[in-house]
Amino acid sequence: MSEKQLFDPASAWADMVQKWEHEINSWSNKLTESEQFGAMLGQATKVQLAAQKAFGEQMETMLRQLNLPSKALVDELAERLDTIEESIERLRLAIEQNQVEPVEAPATPPPAPRRTRKPAADKA
Amino acid sequence: MSAEAAQPHSDEVAERVRREVDRALKRNIKGLEFLTAGRQSVGAMDKDLLWRDGTAALYRYRPLLEEIYRVPLLIVSPPSNKGYIFDLAAGQSMVEYLLQRGYDVFLLDWFPPRRDEAHLAFADYVDKFIPQSVARVLEASGESELTLAGYCMGGTLATMYAALHAGGPIRNFIAFATPVNFSHMKAFQIWADRRHFDVDDVVDRLGNIPPELMLGAFDLMRPANRTAGLLNLWANMWNDEFVKSYRMFDRWAAETLPVPGEYFRETVKHLIWENALVENTLEIGGRRVDLSKITVPILNIVAKHDHVVLHGSTQPLMTATGSTDREEIIAKGGHVSLVAGPGALRRLWPLIDAWLGKRSV
Repeated sequence: MSEKQLFDPASAWADMVQKWEHEINSWSNKLTESEQFGAMLGQATKVQLAAQKAFGEQMETMLRQLNLPSKALVDELAERLDTIEESIERLRLAIEQNQVEPVEAPATPPPAPRRTRKPAADKA
Repeated sequence: MSAEAAQPHSDEVAERVRREVDRALKRNIKGLEFLTAGRQSVGAMDKDLLWRDGTAALYRYRPLLEEIYRVPLLIVSPPSNKGYIFDLAAGQSMVEYLLQRGYDVFLLDWFPPRRDEAHLAFADYVDKFIPQSVARVLEASGESELTLAGYCMGGTLATMYAALHAGGPIRNFIAFATPVNFSHMKAFQIWADRRHFDVDDVVDRLGNIPPELMLGAFDLMRPANRTAGLLNLWANMWNDEFVKSYRMFDRWAAETLPVPGEYFRETVKHLIWENALVENTLEIGGRRVDLSKITVPILNIVAKHDHVVLHGSTQPLMTATGSTDREEIIAKGGHVSLVAGPGALRRLWPLIDAWLGKRSV
């Protein structure tokens, strides 16, 4: 018996998006195969980097005039915080090691798992 | 059969209309929630930091079983990505699956490199971060050997380590979507075409390489993916599970890490331009990285629809290594779905367990 399927807008939408995605990606793949595209991309990267640098310098001057911290200063602070965080982790690890080693089982730590497991087929 | 019989029943039509109206309402309400929501939380399993050195951090996940396999497992995450992709959320976490199957799991993860780490190169990863992690895994587990696994460029670095430290403590090697033959990395070849891409200029100007620069290569491969992803998200906005999953993957992609400039320079020059791993010309710390020195059992895992690391780019692991115990799994899905997602939980990870279990006793 043949059944007429109801129109399902959600599934039609999903199909349409999938087809569109496939078309655009295939078109892009063809486009990017040429050497000219590679040349253009290389040039675009150079221009982008130069523009970024110029914009960054201008922005830094403006922020300095407004007495606000620049991105470089914020980055530096973030790095310092990162270093401090790392030092705290090292200290924590050192303290934990020192606490665990000399003191014999202050509050019985959970037993380490036995390293004797075998795959199910071997056990059978 | 009459034409009338083929027509859908009016109740069915009414039910369909009701469902679509309900979904449209939910889309609007949940769409607003989506726009105002904070970051999606990630990470399902408890873990402890064992060691940290600048950008490198070694974690141990807490075992779930009282009896685990003897040989521990160390996973190397790619330096450009956060390692929580292996442990996104309960039910789609590879780490959770492995812990439930009785493995002792460690993860070498990365923090964004600081400016003073822009000099970090292959040698720092292969002769410092990985060996130090290996030493700590062995110390923590009390064992003398381990399984080394790597995902994407984490796998490439692990491959270099395995070749340079042959005869060392590696018992098994697992590669997830690991590029070795870079002549098959077409989009990267175009993006970093040596005739037009001045990598020295880029590195000298930027120091650490921001993720936006590398994400450009990914967008080049699949320019429609982001927009299609958003359109699919809108269509599924009524579905909480879909939205949660989308937000986790979106967060992971948005948190792509910068990479050290020297590491980037070496990747472009030695791997993308010279294909030095395949040409057998790569030298690290004055030693040649010879794939034929890798003689341990190898499991090479490739995604069928991976547009980043194509099957061909992983093949030297199957053909140029010295191992006589090599297996390959070509799994359904794309680059990320190998290590995250419910599909891998059902299809791929049980195969990994079957391969690794008998080699971990």
